[in-house]
Amino acid sequence: MKKTIIKYGLAIALVLPGLMSCKKAIDLKPTNNVDGSNFFTKIDDYELSLTGTYSRLLQDSYYGNGNSGSGPFVGLPDMMSDNLFESSESLANYQSFSRWNYVADDPFVQDIWEDGYRVIQQANITLRGIDNLAATNPGAVNRIKAQALALRAMAHFDLLRSFAEDFDRNSAAKGIAYTDKFDIEQKPARLTVKETYDKIEADFKTAKTLMQAMDESIEGTGTGGGERSYIDEMVVNGLLARMYLYANSLDSAVKYSTLCINARPLTTRANFPNIWLDATTSEVIWSVKFQSLNAGIGDLMFYAVGNRASYRPTTNLLNLYDQVNDVRYTSYYRNLLRGANRNTTPARIVLIKYDAKQANLSKPDGIVNFKALRTGEMYLIRAEAYARLGGVNEALGLADLNTLRAARITGYVNQVLTGAPLLQAIADERRKELAGEGHRFFDLKRTTRTINRTTNCSNFCTLLPDAREWAMPIPQSEILANTNAQQNNGY
Amino acid sequence: MKRLLLLLACLITVLSNAMAQREVTGRVTDSRDGSALAGASVKIKGKNTGTATGPDGRFRIQAATGETLVFSSIGFTDKEVAAANSVIDVVLDFADLPLLKEVVITGYTVQSRREATASIGKVSGSEVKFQPIASFDQLLQGKTPGVLIQSQSGQPGAAASNITIRGKGSVLASTQPLFIVDGIQVTGADFQSINPADIETYNVLKDAVATAQYGSRGANGVIVVTTQRGANGKTKINYDFQYGIGKLPENKLRLMTSAEKINFETNYDHPYGMNFYGWTPEEADSLSQVNANWEEIMFRKANTQQHVLSATGGNDKTKFFISGSVFDQEGTVVATALRRYTGRINIDHTTNNLKIGLSTFVGSSKLTNTNENDQFIGSPLNAIRWANPYVTAYLPDGSFNELDLILQGQPNALKELLLNPSVNNQLKGIAAANLEYKIPFVKGLSVRTNWGVDYTNDDNTRYIDKTTYLGSQQVGTQGSFSHASTKRVRYTGTTSLSYGRQSGNHNYRLSVFNEYVDRRTTTFGYTGFGLIGLFGNGSDITPGTPSNGYIPTVGDGYTEQSLLSWFAIGDYSYKNKYFVNATVRRDGSSRLAEGNKWVNYGGIGAGWLLSAEDFLQNSKVISELKLKASYGSAGNENVGNSYEARELFGGTTYDGKGGLVLTNFEKPNLSWEVRKTANIGVDFGLLKDKITGSIDVYSATTKGLYLNRQLSGTNGVNSILTNLGKLRNNGIEIAINADIIKTKNFNWQLGFNHTFNKSEVLALDGTNENISGLGINRVGEKLNSIYLVRYAGVDPANGDALYYMADGKTTTNVYDPNDKVIVGTFDPPHFGAFNTLVNYKGIELSAQLTYIFGNKIYNNDRQNVENPAYVISNVSADLLHEWQNPGDITDIPSPFNDFQPGTTRFLEDGKFLRLRNIMLSYQVPANALSKAKINGIRFFVQGQNLYTWSKFKGYDPEVASGSLGGSQYPLLKTITFGVSLGL
Repeated sequence: MKKTIIKYGLAIALVLPGLMSCKKAIDLKPTNNVDGSNFFTKIDDYELSLTGTYSRLLQDSYYGNGNSGSGPFVGLPDMMSDNLFESSESLANYQSFSRWNYVADDPFVQDIWEDGYRVIQQANITLRGIDNLAATNPGAVNRIKAQALALRAMAHFDLLRSFAEDFDRNSAAKGIAYTDKFDIEQKPARLTVKETYDKIEADFKTAKTLMQAMDESIEGTGTGGGERSYIDEMVVNGLLARMYLYANSLDSAVKYSTLCINARPLTTRANFPNIWLDATTSEVIWSVKFQSLNAGIGDLMFYAVGNRASYRPTTNLLNLYDQVNDVRYTSYYRNLLRGANRNTTPARIVLIKYDAKQANLSKPDGIVNFKALRTGEMYLIRAEAYARLGGVNEALGLADLNTLRAARITGYVNQVLTGAPLLQAIADERRKELAGEGHRFFDLKRTTRTINRTTNCSNFCTLLPDAREWAMPIPQSEILANTNAQQNNGY
Repeated sequence: MKRLLLLLACLITVLSNAMAQREVTGRVTDSRDGSALAGASVKIKGKNTGTATGPDGRFRIQAATGETLVFSSIGFTDKEVAAANSVIDVVLDFADLPLLKEVVITGYTVQSRREATASIGKVSGSEVKFQPIASFDQLLQGKTPGVLIQSQSGQPGAAASNITIRGKGSVLASTQPLFIVDGIQVTGADFQSINPADIETYNVLKDAVATAQYGSRGANGVIVVTTQRGANGKTKINYDFQYGIGKLPENKLRLMTSAEKINFETNYDHPYGMNFYGWTPEEADSLSQVNANWEEIMFRKANTQQHVLSATGGNDKTKFFISGSVFDQEGTVVATALRRYTGRINIDHTTNNLKIGLSTFVGSSKLTNTNENDQFIGSPLNAIRWANPYVTAYLPDGSFNELDLILQGQPNALKELLLNPSVNNQLKGIAAANLEYKIPFVKGLSVRTNWGVDYTNDDNTRYIDKTTYLGSQQVGTQGSFSHASTKRVRYTGTTSLSYGRQSGNHNYRLSVFNEYVDRRTTTFGYTGFGLIGLFGNGSDITPGTPSNGYIPTVGDGYTEQSLLSWFAIGDYSYKNKYFVNATVRRDGSSRLAEGNKWVNYGGIGAGWLLSAEDFLQNSKVISELKLKASYGSAGNENVGNSYEARELFGGTTYDGKGGLVLTNFEKPNLSWEVRKTANIGVDFGLLKDKITGSIDVYSATTKGLYLNRQLSGTNGVNSILTNLGKLRNNGIEIAINADIIKTKNFNWQLGFNHTFNKSEVLALDGTNENISGLGINRVGEKLNSIYLVRYAGVDPANGDALYYMADGKTTTNVYDPNDKVIVGTFDPPHFGAFNTLVNYKGIELSAQLTYIFGNKIYNNDRQNVENPAYVISNVSADLLHEWQNPGDITDIPSPFNDFQPGTTRFLEDGKFLRLRNIMLSYQVPANALSKAKINGIRFFVQGQNLYTWSKFKGYDPEVASGSLGGSQYPLLKTITFGVSLGL
């Protein structure tokens, strides 16, 4: 009997290890990720998501551009215009943009679409359910919501710049879909340009309202803060000024650019070069922070660590400058030798804005902040808005132009211009002031709708007003997935 | 759970009490090699009672003294022995007909071919063990039908790039089979540390009655590997040695020589301008003379040597197999190498009712490798295509020549390769212990448990020298050193209760199993910057400060996933002629959402041994004939991450602060793909098994096919993984082996196998097609069809590339994606092999040829050297006849024409025939060795991949993905000499 018990015991002992508790054995939770189903219960969780939303601005097809993105709001609009040309140092991956032969299945076009909406996605996640905390933390909720709304509005505006067929405030042309909640199943239709502006404007305005009742100032912008890395009310004003200029809402453009100009005056010529080394935030309204370990920025214009200038400034652009007296010329361009150590002939002129921060100048790594909004642009917005308003305002526009030039050019003598020559001078000044900062193609799109590359253009020199390429194609993937999506004309 | 208890209760009620007779035990072995004979029948003469031997050849029967035991087994002569002793060991004489006797192993069960209703391919380890390849999966190529193995890399230790059993059953998930070694699931990617010489058999489970036993992991087929076990008898010691030389295959894509390239740069017009580097006539002249051969700079003839020492032996109770090996392979690419040490101890011990088995394996390898199959200019192997031929590796003063870095931004590849070593140290342990207990008071009832672990520790270091191109791209631009460790531990625990009996003509066995598989992956790593360049290791790192910017990065990760299963396997046979196998399995996974965690699988198979019927028993032509059919299901869980069903947020930073971003969508309805396979087959032997073979026809349908359901990009992403589609693979497999001549001294065998597989997409995500890159999946068409605009040559008038419009007739010079059509498939529909073996006395010559046809390859490597944007690099010699002037008749367009890579211009036929292995060996006659007390000695010389018949413009047409990228490390041609010595 005893033996039998031992035998039974042995048999049971053998079987038992296998009889695991079902539930526990296969109920495993992530340890190095957050499970969204039991998160977002306190303000700190939303703070993390807001920081995540900012980090999405560094994506390759937004402000960043590492190995696999075009940098659509930094260098691409210059590459697609008459400011830059493709050099033999290029690896030819972005020719479809600089030669205007992008098609609906171009993967980089799809990246622009998705990276833009991915900023919006994270902003919407930041807004998801945050109102439940408003009763206990109204100030903090307002502070987080305001930034998320502003980020959402800005990303929509940037997508509008790329994909809309027209920029006029009341245009009935196809704008973009406005995504104001996180729901992966939604298939929104494109709004008209007017409707898109309505939504963007409303989000910016709500953000401004919320910013009046925050628990503390937005980081880096309050007392003692000078980094300008986050979106505060001044940044919202600057973004509104830019939007109103595109929308041709000129009075509003004047109003909001003035708020920025007054808050953040122009700096001295001596200090100007420091802006590009991130050694000062003078004149800088919003500086999107790039740090080592983040993807590079402006790599297609100048990849500092490889000393590769895939797209270089055109002769046509360089000739606009007073190359001796204009502080911008020496701050923006350098006649740089080739080779890894920058010591091998021949030299060539490269756009050097994205070389390195001051601390790393001895070993440039191509990582600098993106000065997304600067006072120089505000002056040019106001100058152009005044000039377009005409009449008595023209003189105010000319004054802004002269003020900006005087701040940049040693020994500048004020000029007198009116009408079309004044507008042309402002447009040229935009090229000179904002080269490589993501404006030129959009500026041409909203003004002359003509590109005439007069230098360095082989057989792709002209883009005519009726060309379909003024608006990028809606990605083929979107057309396939979203039955409500409409393709732009001509694609 | 309740169901299992009920089942147990049922089992117990049918148990019958053993009769009080004396027990006789023993073992039945094969006369030829002393190996165990499984499934041999043991009967008492004149009675209807009997038993069959187990997988180890052992039997146990009740018999009275004076009775006679009759031993029989198909293919062997019957033997009668008086039941005089309580232990009777019997040796049965082999009488031909080996096919049905062969043991097939599904991992959970062991069957003879006679009983098996599944389609299982079997390869013996000794057949392939001498091939000079470190990773054993590559060895199975062409050995059994239905299994497509494509190897693209000649890098030491590289695993096969692609193993597909009966066609790809999935679009998004892995299509690689499950690997089981001694009952333990092991990871296919790290075979570099396993010694192929330890392996006894490879069993390839192809149809669902076999793969259903593996449930969620079985859909892609299962390769069950068993390692050698000890044998009863005198200890045998074996020593194998081999030495080989490998080299690069012939390149069929000719690039420009220096003279041609300089001529091309200076005398042809380009978008970058004529003579864009501005060579003076003197420079042009001297550079034309240079001719640096980057293939020769980067590649070498490389040596491989291998030593394997093993011992096997034992007695009735304890048996052992031990082995040790050293494998030392130089890579053909300079500075790459693999060195591997392995050790194994397998022990089996039997006492009365208890059997203990232990398998332990440890492998340690050091692999120095380089990037391959990418298009990064910093990857050294891209230099064999892209380096300008007039740029040498070294300057006359011995320093590295950086001219190409200045000219085209392409670093000196040799410098990058030599100064930036990438080293993987892998420590691999596989251990399994099993315990089997025959419950003595219930005859036929046994319980078994098998627990094991597959442990892999990858220790990777990467030194990036500050003076290299890659070094300048690191944080702080002064190089970096990374050290990362990945530890993967997978436990597999299987416990089963089996009951088997023979009563009269009925023979049955039923086993119920519980299994738990748990996989944990722990990663840790750091990267430091600002190397001072003294040590060549982590000591070169400069500690980071806010001012110097050399802030090191650290990473840490952990994932765990588990699978809990209950299943039952039953086998039944009647009169040893009619067979049924069945499996039911229920798997619960930690990776699926609550409420959806459990998935059911099952399979059933039936077999009929016609040749055992009276009407065929005396046939002169048909010696064996068996029909079989099966149907069942298995799953594919190889998709996504460990927490795929949950909404996940991952860490990120902005402005030095930590944040979170969405990284994974919630997928509450996610389940596993289920592949349902129907199989009908026939196994046959003709003319006393002079000709043997099998034909299998299958149809496998994948339901719940994973697809990326297209989402609107306005949600920030374009798709979500969803079980949506349906896919079918139909195919036929044929294998035939023939003894053309079979005499005492001279033998000639010939073998052939062929597989035809045709896939068809049956349903997608509600849409008709899904386009991704160069490929398309369209309902009604083959899986992974190629979707391109057809190239129609060059317009002589203006040099524009011409394309066929969708109608296939009109040509246009406008590239329009709407003109894309299906132009072929990446997946080979036809593949197979020829084997032959000629043996005269001790001299043996064997050869294997493998082939593939019906597929196409997109030659992206050629596309890069024909793209006029890359004239800054070296380019194809074909560009010398690019279109220049109106009227030129050529197939290379003007460089000013928009270059479009996505056309059939770069699509090539993928068919090839390869002499994969040829071996000549000499076995020294035994009588010449007996004085030296040597059991056997064999010398051999073999050639691997010696010749390939192919028109593909490149090094090698074996391109697993169907698209040949850059930085190739092609498969090698190798010649090896070896000796095998038995003591």
